[in-house]
Amino acid sequence: MNTEVKLHPSTELLNRFVQGELVTGKSVVVSAHMELCESCSAKAEELQALAVSSWIDPGSALQPDQSSEADYSNMVAGIVKSPQIKSEQIEALVEVDIDILNHSIKLPKVLAKAVSQGLKWKKVAGGISEAQLFLDSETLCEFIYMAPGCQVPLHTHQGSESTLVLDGSFEDELGEYKTSDFIIRDAQHNHQPRSKEGCLCFAVLDSPLKFTEGFARLMNPVNLYKFKKATSRVA
Amino acid sequence: MYKNYAKQDVGNNEVALAVRLASMKTLTPSPDAEELDVTDESLLIAVGNGQNVDAFNQLFKRFAKKIFALGMKITRNEQLANDLIQESMLNVWQKAPLYDLDKGSAKGWIFTLSRNRCFDMLRKQKRQPNCISADDIWPLESSAEPTMVHEDIGGQQVELSLIESYFDRLSDPQRAVVEQIYIKDRTHEEAAAYLQIPLGTLKSRLRLGVAKLRNLIGVNE
Repeated sequence: MNTEVKLHPSTELLNRFVQGELVTGKSVVVSAHMELCESCSAKAEELQALAVSSWIDPGSALQPDQSSEADYSNMVAGIVKSPQIKSEQIEALVEVDIDILNHSIKLPKVLAKAVSQGLKWKKVAGGISEAQLFLDSETLCEFIYMAPGCQVPLHTHQGSESTLVLDGSFEDELGEYKTSDFIIRDAQHNHQPRSKEGCLCFAVLDSPLKFTEGFARLMNPVNLYKFKKATSRVA
Repeated sequence: MYKNYAKQDVGNNEVALAVRLASMKTLTPSPDAEELDVTDESLLIAVGNGQNVDAFNQLFKRFAKKIFALGMKITRNEQLANDLIQESMLNVWQKAPLYDLDKGSAKGWIFTLSRNRCFDMLRKQKRQPNCISADDIWPLESSAEPTMVHEDIGGQQVELSLIESYFDRLSDPQRAVVEQIYIKDRTHEEAAAYLQIPLGTLKSRLRLGVAKLRNLIGVNE
C-alpha cells in the first residue's frame, strides 16, 4: 500500500462505485486504485456503510411485480431446495507481472485477473505502446506505456478519461503524477502528457480522445475508429 | 460460560426468538410474527446453521423490496430488478453459512451480495466478456479455509499447562471457539450451532485464535 498517494477519485465517483453504478471499465480502474490506496479503501467502506444504512424499500409508485405473498412464497419454495455453500471456494490467486525496461511491475489483483487472458502490446508512436482490454461496450480500456523521454501530442477528451499510474511518473501542464495516483481528465483539459523516467498507466476512456494541435489532428479519425472498434467488440 | 459469548453476538433473547420462530413451522404464522424484534443477524444465523425456512421467509420479506429498489437504481429496468430479487435471495440462502458477523451487519452483507449479483447480471445481459466478475472488483476479505487447523496446535510437545496459561490470553469469543473444537471435539457445524454464531464467524475466530496460540507458543506457521 502506498500511503503517499496525492490524487484520488472524487467522493462522488467512489460513491457511485460502491453503489454498483459505474460501468465495468470504470469500476475496474477505481478498484485497482483502491487496492493501492488505503485512504480510498477506508473511504469506500464508509460510503458503503452509508449506502447500507439508507437502503430502503422503493416508494409506493414503484413496486416489484411479484409482491403478492403467494408469488413470493413460490420463489422462496424454489430457493430453499438448493444446497448451501459451507466453505468459500478460493480461486488460485492470479499474479501478473508486466516487464518493462529492467524491472517488472506487479499488477493490482483486479487488473491481473482482467489480463489473465493475455495482453497484446502495440507500438503506436514515439515510444508509446498500448495494450487494450475489452471490459464493456462503453469504454476503451488500455494499458499505456511511455518510454523515458517521450510525449503524447496535445489533446483533449470529449468525455472523460480516468488514468491510474501503475509505475513511474508522467507530467502535463497541470502537474506531475506518480505511482498509484488517479487522474481524471475531461473536455475542460487540453493536455500534453510526457514522461521523463518512463511510465506505465491503465486508462479508461468513455469517448475518443481528440488531438488539438498540428499533424496529430490527422489521427483523430483513427482515434474515433479505435474507440468504436474497442467498444463494439464487446457487445 | 458460553452464554456470555452468545450474548455478545446477538443477544440471547433474540436467539431464543429466532429459535421460537423456527419451531413455529407447523403453525400458521401469527400476524405479529413479523413485528417481533428479531435482528436480521439472528435470522441469517438460523438460515445458515439450520436451513431454517421460516427465518429465510422473514429475511425475504424484509429485503425483497430493498433489493428491487437497488436493482431499479442500477439497471433502470423493472424486469432485471425483479430478476435480481430471485438471484440475490438465492445467493443469501446459499451463502448464509459464510456470513461472518465479526465483519459487519447482515444488512450490509445482503447489500454486498445484491450489488454484486446485479453487476454480474447486467454484464451478462450486455454480453460483456466474463474475464472479470463483481467479486474481483469488490474482493472479499480473505476468508480462506484455515489451514492445518486440525493438527496439534503446537505441532510439537508443549507443556499442557503452558497452553492453558496462553489460552486465557485469547479473547472470550476466540477462546469459546477454540474450546469447542479442540477440547469438546465438536465439528465446525456443531460448534457454530452451539454458540449460535454463523459458520463463517466460527471459522474466522478459530483461525485468529489458533494463529494467536501458535504465536504465543512460538511455532512458526
